[in-house]
Amino acid sequence: MRRSGDSVVMPIADFHCTYDNSAGINADVTKRLNLKFPDAYKHWDTMVMLSKALKDHDHVAFCLLPFCHTVEAEAMGGIINLGDETAGPRAKEYICTTAEDILALPEIDYSNGRIGEVLKACTALIDEGEQVILEISGPFTILNVLIDARNVFRIFRKKPEQMRKIFTKLEEELLRYIRESEKAGVNVLSFADSSGGLNILGPKMMEQYVEIFTYPFLREVGKRTADGTLVLLCPKTAFSLIGTGKAVWKNIDLGEPMRYGEACISCVGKTKYLGEMCINNTQFVLKDGVVKALVLV
Amino acid sequence: MIVSMASKEELLGLLSECVLEMEDDKVVSVAQEYVDSGYPAVEGILYGLVDGINKAADLYEKEEYFIPELLLCSDAMYNGLDILRSHMDKAEATRKGKVVIGVVEGDTHDIGKNLVKIMLESGGYEAIDLGRDVPAKKFIEQVEENGARVVAMSTLMSTSMDNMRKVVDLLSEKGLRENVKVIVGGAPISSSFAEKIGADGYSENAVGALRLVNRLLAV
Repeated sequence: MRRSGDSVVMPIADFHCTYDNSAGINADVTKRLNLKFPDAYKHWDTMVMLSKALKDHDHVAFCLLPFCHTVEAEAMGGIINLGDETAGPRAKEYICTTAEDILALPEIDYSNGRIGEVLKACTALIDEGEQVILEISGPFTILNVLIDARNVFRIFRKKPEQMRKIFTKLEEELLRYIRESEKAGVNVLSFADSSGGLNILGPKMMEQYVEIFTYPFLREVGKRTADGTLVLLCPKTAFSLIGTGKAVWKNIDLGEPMRYGEACISCVGKTKYLGEMCINNTQFVLKDGVVKALVLV
Repeated sequence: MIVSMASKEELLGLLSECVLEMEDDKVVSVAQEYVDSGYPAVEGILYGLVDGINKAADLYEKEEYFIPELLLCSDAMYNGLDILRSHMDKAEATRKGKVVIGVVEGDTHDIGKNLVKIMLESGGYEAIDLGRDVPAKKFIEQVEENGARVVAMSTLMSTSMDNMRKVVDLLSEKGLRENVKVIVGGAPISSSFAEKIGADGYSENAVGALRLVNRLLAV
């Protein structure tokens, strides 16, 4: 058997995630809004109110949507506990146990359900002049709602051809989601898959994941999105691309020190991928006035 | 009874190897051969399956195995346990006591909790697994119902951390706290947080959690 430790693997650095482990929303914000939860998570107009309130609370230059990492999986049939004002939407119970179950899940209908409301909320915010960042979840995060992680790892190790089919299915869905989001007016996307991070997968599986999914997926995103669309990568994803030689950093001079979120927005139209910091680390300042773009090789 | 060609030591080695090599199908036939040969089930568990998971845990600590490998090793261990447990006394299976374990309400990330459960079970405890997103009240009900000696809680989300305190407070309210040790873990958790909420201990990983429970119960 070939173990991770037996083979020469590229040094992939990990990013210690402390900002957005999942779905919580600041309680001060929810109290002030007088919204009814969990209903507020379900409709575009209340999503708009919440997103703007969180923007003001965090003193940032953008509105983030959605408020959890369950939207894509729910749209594929996942069962969600919508939660309350403090603990937001999260997985309730698994609907799949095998690769075949996942592959048989229906295509997402982007005009319906909570995912449709998210896209409507994006448009409404953009129409009001807000800068929207749409957060998109990667395969492991989506699968985490649909199937026990141990089954995913088993498929990955013991049925790699099935895992490839699952990645292909999810890639197609995510590319369609991105296309729909651009139609809704979104020009900044944030992609994260913390459930598929180095600390969980280990270097060997992480390298395979980058090879099979992350790199080809992001290349497709680059080809299919408008020139002005910016993709913010979770540093876990960015570091995995750097560590496997699939991308290199390229400095962009901002001209002055800037908070990371503002720096990202200022880079719209100037580059395709950023990813040195987590977008949820709202107070992180680029003191030297330089932000690192990621260039896929 | 089928008389095996393999010696007891050979079969114990095979059981261990099946776990270490994540052979979740092969372990079933090896475990069956072991019990069919009339060898004691408890030794098959301790010196075969548990030996394998301990070796896997060592590799995990050395960062040669990661979470996927450890979970798949545990699949093999549980498949073997299904065969061997049916041939042993209940008292033998749970010789160290019961642990109520779960991810607290508000969170569904259960990989870490599952790893702790694996290590506790391999260490001789009976784990009563409440799953994920578990309300505080349910921990208390299960402690009372099972006479558990330990409550083990985890969360990955800072928004759910306070629900650990709720469990500790409820144990006190019900007069159960003195007889139950409470351990906590998860990415946002620390020793100081454990102390702050009145838990007995914190572990940053699954192998450490078993050591912690052994120390707290002085076993």
